This record gives sequence, C-alpha cells and structure tokens, in this order.
Amino acid sequence: MAPTTPQFRACMAIATVFAAMMLPNWRGRDDLFADNRRPTEYQVKAAYLANFAKFVEWPAGSITDDSPIPVCVAGQDPFGPALDAALSGERVGGHPLVARRIDGLRDVDGCRILFVSSNEALIDSVGSVERLPILTVSDAPDFLKHGGMIEFVLASNRVRFEINLAAARTAGLNISSELLRVATTVRKTP
Amino acid sequence: MSLYFGLIYAYIYNQLKKVKAGSNGAAENGGEQSARGAPLAAFLVWLLLIPVCALECAAAPGPDPATGERLRQLSLEELGNLEVTTASKEPEEVWKTPAAIYVLTKEDIRRSGATSIPEALRLVPGVDVSRIDASTWAVGVRGFGSRFSQSVLVLIDGRNVYTPLFAGVNWTVQNVMLEDVARIEVIRGPGGTIWGTNAVNGVINIITEKSGDTQGALISGGGGNLEQGNAAVRYGGTFGRNFSYRVYGMAFRYGPELHPDGNNFDDWELGQGGFRLDWSNQKRDSISVQGDLYKGSVGESQSVAYYSPPAMRAINADEDASGGNILFKWQRKVNKASDFLLQAYYDRTWRLTSQLGEKRNTFDLDFTHHLRIFPRQELTWGLGARWSPSEFIQTVPTIVFRPFHQADNIYSAFLQDEIAILRNQLSLTLGTKFEHNIYTGWETLPGARILWTPTTRQSVWAAVTRAVRSPSRVDEDLELTDLYATTPVPQYLQLAHNGEFASEKLLGYEFGYRKLVTARIYFDLALFRNNYNDLASYGEPVIGPETSSNPPGLVAMIPWINGLVGTTEGFEIAPDWKPTPWLEMRGAWSYLNMNLRSKTGSDPGSTIAVYEGSSPRHKVVFQTRISLPKGFEFDPAYRYVSALPTQFPTGLPADYVRAYSTMDFRLARQMTRSLELSISGQNLFQPGHAEFSGDPGPLVLIRRTVYASVTWRQRESP
Repeated sequence: MAPTTPQFRACMAIATVFAAMMLPNWRGRDDLFADNRRPTEYQVKAAYLANFAKFVEWPAGSITDDSPIPVCVAGQDPFGPALDAALSGERVGGHPLVARRIDGLRDVDGCRILFVSSNEALIDSVGSVERLPILTVSDAPDFLKHGGMIEFVLASNRVRFEINLAAARTAGLNISSELLRVATTVRKTP
Repeated sequence: MSLYFGLIYAYIYNQLKKVKAGSNGAAENGGEQSARGAPLAAFLVWLLLIPVCALECAAAPGPDPATGERLRQLSLEELGNLEVTTASKEPEEVWKTPAAIYVLTKEDIRRSGATSIPEALRLVPGVDVSRIDASTWAVGVRGFGSRFSQSVLVLIDGRNVYTPLFAGVNWTVQNVMLEDVARIEVIRGPGGTIWGTNAVNGVINIITEKSGDTQGALISGGGGNLEQGNAAVRYGGTFGRNFSYRVYGMAFRYGPELHPDGNNFDDWELGQGGFRLDWSNQKRDSISVQGDLYKGSVGESQSVAYYSPPAMRAINADEDASGGNILFKWQRKVNKASDFLLQAYYDRTWRLTSQLGEKRNTFDLDFTHHLRIFPRQELTWGLGARWSPSEFIQTVPTIVFRPFHQADNIYSAFLQDEIAILRNQLSLTLGTKFEHNIYTGWETLPGARILWTPTTRQSVWAAVTRAVRSPSRVDEDLELTDLYATTPVPQYLQLAHNGEFASEKLLGYEFGYRKLVTARIYFDLALFRNNYNDLASYGEPVIGPETSSNPPGLVAMIPWINGLVGTTEGFEIAPDWKPTPWLEMRGAWSYLNMNLRSKTGSDPGSTIAVYEGSSPRHKVVFQTRISLPKGFEFDPAYRYVSALPTQFPTGLPADYVRAYSTMDFRLARQMTRSLELSISGQNLFQPGHAEFSGDPGPLVLIRRTVYASVTWRQRESP
C-alpha cells in the first residue's frame, strides 16, 4: 500500500492522537474542573446556599442556642445528595447547617433558608412567608417579582444571583454588604 | 434491570453464533478469520473493562464528592466565575410532555462520537437510520424509511428543511456544526396539530445554542478512513451586556464506502459558514438573527433511461449543491400570562445532478401566541405563511417536472388549548391546525392528548392525532420514464400523474408511560398504532406505443394513485440506568409491525413490499458511558438491526439487506481544560455491511470506520 492512500493517512492520524492521549501527567492542577469533571449547576447552587448563611443576620430570637439552622427545599428537590454534601460540617456562628425537604410552604416552620423549586404554584404563593424570618431562594424566573429574596440566574454557564433587598427587609433579615457586592443586581424597592 | 440482562444475553448469544459462523467460514476462507476475530476481541475487552473499572473506580474517590469538597473552599466570587454543567431543564419538560419525545443532549451528541446529524440519531428509540452510501441516509421514524425521509418533518432552529420537490429531507445538505447543537428533540408519532402537514410519522427538531453560550474560540479537526478530513472553527463574543454573536466555518470530506463492484462514486465534500446574533433586553424581549451558507460536491451514481441506444445509462457524476438561509426570531414576554414568537426566514437551495436540477427560494413567516386567559387554560394559537417558488432544470429527456416553474405556497392557522383538569396531575390538550396547500386545498389536523402525573415519579399519557402528508411535486408534476426491457423493442415504464393525487392520511393512537424507578433508573415506554389511508402506490399499467424512442417501442403508463391502506403498530422501550456518577447505561428496543394492503386487491408495482421492506422490525441499541480517572472517557455502544424484508423485490439474495449487529465506541481524554483528544470507531464487527438499497449496482457496504479528532476550546480561568 503506497504511503499516501487515505487509509494510511487515517492510520497515522489515529496513531498520533492515540499516542498523544496516552501521555502521562498532561493535566495540570486544574484537573478537577476540566470539562467532564466540572461541577454541576446544583452543586454550585448548594455551595451558595451554604455560603449565604454566613452573610445573613436573622432577627434576634429566631435562632436558638445550639440548635441547627435548617436549609429547606420546597417542592421537587433538584439537589439530590449535593445539598447534604455542601452543608455537612458547615457551621455558622456555632450552629450546624442541616438540609430538610418539605412538600409545600405550609411546612416552613423552623426553616431559616428556603429554596423554592421552580414550580409555578409554589412561586405564586411565596408571599405567604414574606413576613417570616426566612431567606427565600429560587432559580425560578421572576422569583424576585413574586417577593422572593435571592434569585439564581445562569449566564454563560455560570451561576450568579440577584437580590431583592426590600423583600429581605420586610422579613427583618439583614444582608451583609459583601453579599450585595457580589450580586449581579440588587433591587431596593419592592 | 432484567431487560438489560436480557440484552446482554442476546448480545453474547449473537456473538457466539457469529464465532461459530466465523470458524466455519474460516475453514472455507482463511482470509476472513482475522476480520471476524477483531470484533470478538473488542467485545471481550469491553466486557472485561466494566468489572475492572468498577473495582478501580470504586476504590478511587469519584469525581462527584471531590468536586464538592473543592467547592467548599471557594469564595462567593469564585463560585460565580465557575463554569458549570447544566442539567438542562428538559427532564422536567420531557416528563410532562404527552408525546413520545426523546431528547439528545449536547453531552449525548458529544459522547456518541457522531460527526453528522443522521449518525447521532442512531441512538434514538423508534428512529431507523440506514446509511445508503457515504453521503446519503434513509431516516425513518416508526417505519417508512427512505432516502428523503418522507413523512418526517425536520426543523433546524424552527426553519423547515422539508423540500416540496421530493416530499422529504435531503440530509446531505443539512449540516450543522455539532458543537453548536444544544439539543435534538425527536418526537415520534404524528405532530400535525402543531407542525402541520408532513409531520406524519415524526418530527426532528434541531436546536442550536444561543450565541451567549458559545463564547470564545473553538477549533476542531479530525480525520479517519471514511471521513477523511474535517475542520471547524468558531468564535463567539459580546458587545456590552445585551448583545452576543458567533461566527463559524467548517469543511469536511468523505471518501467512498465499500463497493463490491469497485464503482467508488460516493466521495463528497462540503464547506459551510454562518453566524448567529442574539440580543436580549433583560427578560422581556429576545431577538436572534442567524444564517448559513454552504456549497458542496456530492459523488453520485444514477441509472437513467434514454430514448436512444443505449437506452439505459449508468452515469457517475458529482451533484453540485449549494444554498443558504437567514432566520429572524423575536420573542416577547408581554406579561406573566402572555408571550409571543415572531419568526421569519429565507432559504435558498440549488442542486444539479445528472438526473435533474432545482433552484428554490422559500420565504416563511410564522407567528405564535401563548396566553393564559382562564386560570386553568393555556391557549396557544398561531398563523403561518410560506411562499416557495422553484424552477426545475431538465438534464435528461426522461425526467421532467411540469410545469417547470411553480410556487408551493402554504397558509396555516392553529389553535391549541391545554386544560388542567386537576392541577399538576391531569391535563387535557386539544388542538387543531388548518393548512392550505396548492394541491389539495385545506387540510384539517386535529389532535387530543391527555397527561396524568399521579406522582412526581411517574407519568402516563395517551393521544389520538390526525396527520397528513400533502402531495409534493414528485407526486403531482413528475413525468418519469424508466426502461423495462430492450428486446425485442424498447419497452418503457412511465409514471402517469392524473392531477388527482390526494394527501396520505394517518390517524394515530398512542400511549406512553414513564417511571423513575429509583433516583438512578429511568424507564420510558411508548406504544402506538397508526392507521394509514390513501398511501401512494402504482396503479394498473396501460400499454401503448412509444414513438419518441429510437427505435419505436412500447410504453406502459403507470398511474400514481392513493392505492394503499394499512396499519403499523409497535413499541419503544428505553431504560436508562446510572449506577454511579461515572457510569451510565442506556438501552432502547424498538419494535415495528407493518401491515399494508391494496384497496383494489392488486399491487402491480409491489409498492407494499417497498414500504414494508423500508424499516427493520427490531432495533436494539445499548450504550454505556464510562468516565474514567485522568480525564478519560470510554463510550462503547452496541446496535442490532433486524433484516429489511425484501426491499426491492428482485428476488436476488444479493439485494436483501440482512440483519446486522455491530459496535461503535469512543475513547476520549480531556488533556487540559481546553484540549480534548478523541478516537471513535463505528461498525467494528465487520469490514462492511449493507444497511439500505437505493444506488445502482450491488448493495453498498457501510464501512468499519475509525476517526480521530482534536478539539480546542478557549476557556476563561475559574
């Protein structure tokens, strides 16, 4: 077979790519975030939820001594084990964070952070918890318009968030300036 | 679960049979042995790899928790700069769709190793993809596979690529840069209520990414023994907050498939470029403009009848194909209860083959409005118009479309109401489309669908829908003459249109069930029965003298009539099992039984055999995806396709498309965050196998192929 046939060229191309593929230690220290090991959207959102607790002050008395801070998920749970993994071992002011799944907004008793899954009925009724000391978070579009406090948005495959400061004030929550600085937009009027 | 074991047993059984056949064959023909040994070795390696990998990866920390651990150390700002893999919103939508829908995601396409859309569709349940030669495919949904995928509607970003000349899709020129594809939605079953005529057996919706999601540079290149060269370049950027764009260019070249007679006609090449602009005003308006231009040269072999000797000539010539399109979309959210979409496009196609040529310009305008008038009703209505003037170019005396100039115009209106009978549990969707075409006038395409989601883990749906395939130029305007015999005098067959060809009609009954058995096992079942009426067939020939031939001879005028009725029934089962984050297994078993008969009791042209022979009875696909340490991915897939019953009834064994089982694989490694290398192979079990007939000469054998590629993506640092 003459060395210029397409078959020969194909063999050479494949052999070259295969040899390159087998090179050891090509990948550097960013190994974990290479394409197929990128975190999932909800792993990052879970990490945010764990972080939010550090930047929010609840009204005095709403968090009792030594009791854990429940992070609730209302409706269909999009996190799976990612939320429990993100919260386990995290402490805020000495309080451990725990994940709790609830069916609807009637069961929010005790929740301090509430993630509302993207379900129309739930989003519509978020007003029913607006005066409770609960940080409400969702990725539903227009969540802020419905009186929610933090809305995740995806931009170029990155998870960012917007804050409705007026809603947080209604609930008596104090959001630290550091969190406001990182938010893509902050809505100050209801 | 048990289904998987069943599939694996079937697989092993098949292989054993083959080994036995192989050893018998080897006694007769020693040269065959190595070719048969290779797939067996590949199969054994695959079987061994799974348990080995299971042990290896179970011991090593999986990617999931490790990633989670790293995330905990990041600040808020770092989290915001991290690129994530988004589980698309589809699962939820698919769950609540009262239709047999299957979505190929970006990841599915990447890991299939496919380099063209028809090849990617091989994994979809209920879709039969048969490669005819290097440049053409027969794609059928629930039967009726043909080179132009008659009765399947294909849309690229909402642009209809069904050609009214042949009533179908010319897959050769429907190319997109696969890295741009966000997802391909395949809806099996009639979709006329929304998509109109020609969405009879299925709809294939190819949706590309918004330009905001394809930012930065991407360069990819590859080559192998069939696809000899492929290069693609893309760049995406932004202007300010609201405006983003991308431009791309790509070119590829295929060599011929295997031809037993050595007539290697089917090499082809194509170049294409295009752009997309997206503008969005926060959440209220979004506008996109996109366009493509292509030009290609496609090797073809055609047998053409002539009126002078030699009366039958096999012509090898390159088809000259080019075209372009520009598409504009405006989506506006008027308020919480109302949104609309306005879409307009222009599409130009040009093709010149040794048989015919056509120039076509299509202008299309569509408006869709979705609103909630009453609390429990989602109303969608729309209007559409299409103007599609075309010009036929005659290249041989025996193929003529008359009139030469014609505009295929369509006007349509549709209305659909989704009624929530029990909120979040039971919904009923009623709708109808009215569409006017130039051949049969108004067509009515009603449909009713019901969806029951008793729990969040299972859904049940059922549908009754009417669909039609309206006549196209090939049904009404084509004067085609073929040669039957040359002695004692030339005898011709001529297709005779009477101008009374009606639409082909379908009334489809469907039922579906989806269940999330555990968080990691998903199961999808669809059953269907389609009742067809007025399917096209040949009528009784009338014999007369043919005077235009030299020497004068005879001609049999064969009417093209709506002569057949019949049913198809079948099912598709598609389980999906993801035992660990690094392993996923998917299967699909599609079954089809076609039962057609002639209204008059006679079928002189054997059209029934052609239809029934066009699609396999069984198709089984079994795909495994393994994410290995050090950035490796290994994705083997097994396919079994049963024989095509005598597709063209010559009675010669060489013309039968036999059952085949074969294997594809992809081995890839993410070398750095930007660089990916991959090697993929297709049809590994045999040097070549036939999938469909259609070209002159002996059946074309589809090759065993290997393909290597390099992809570099520009990435911002996390």
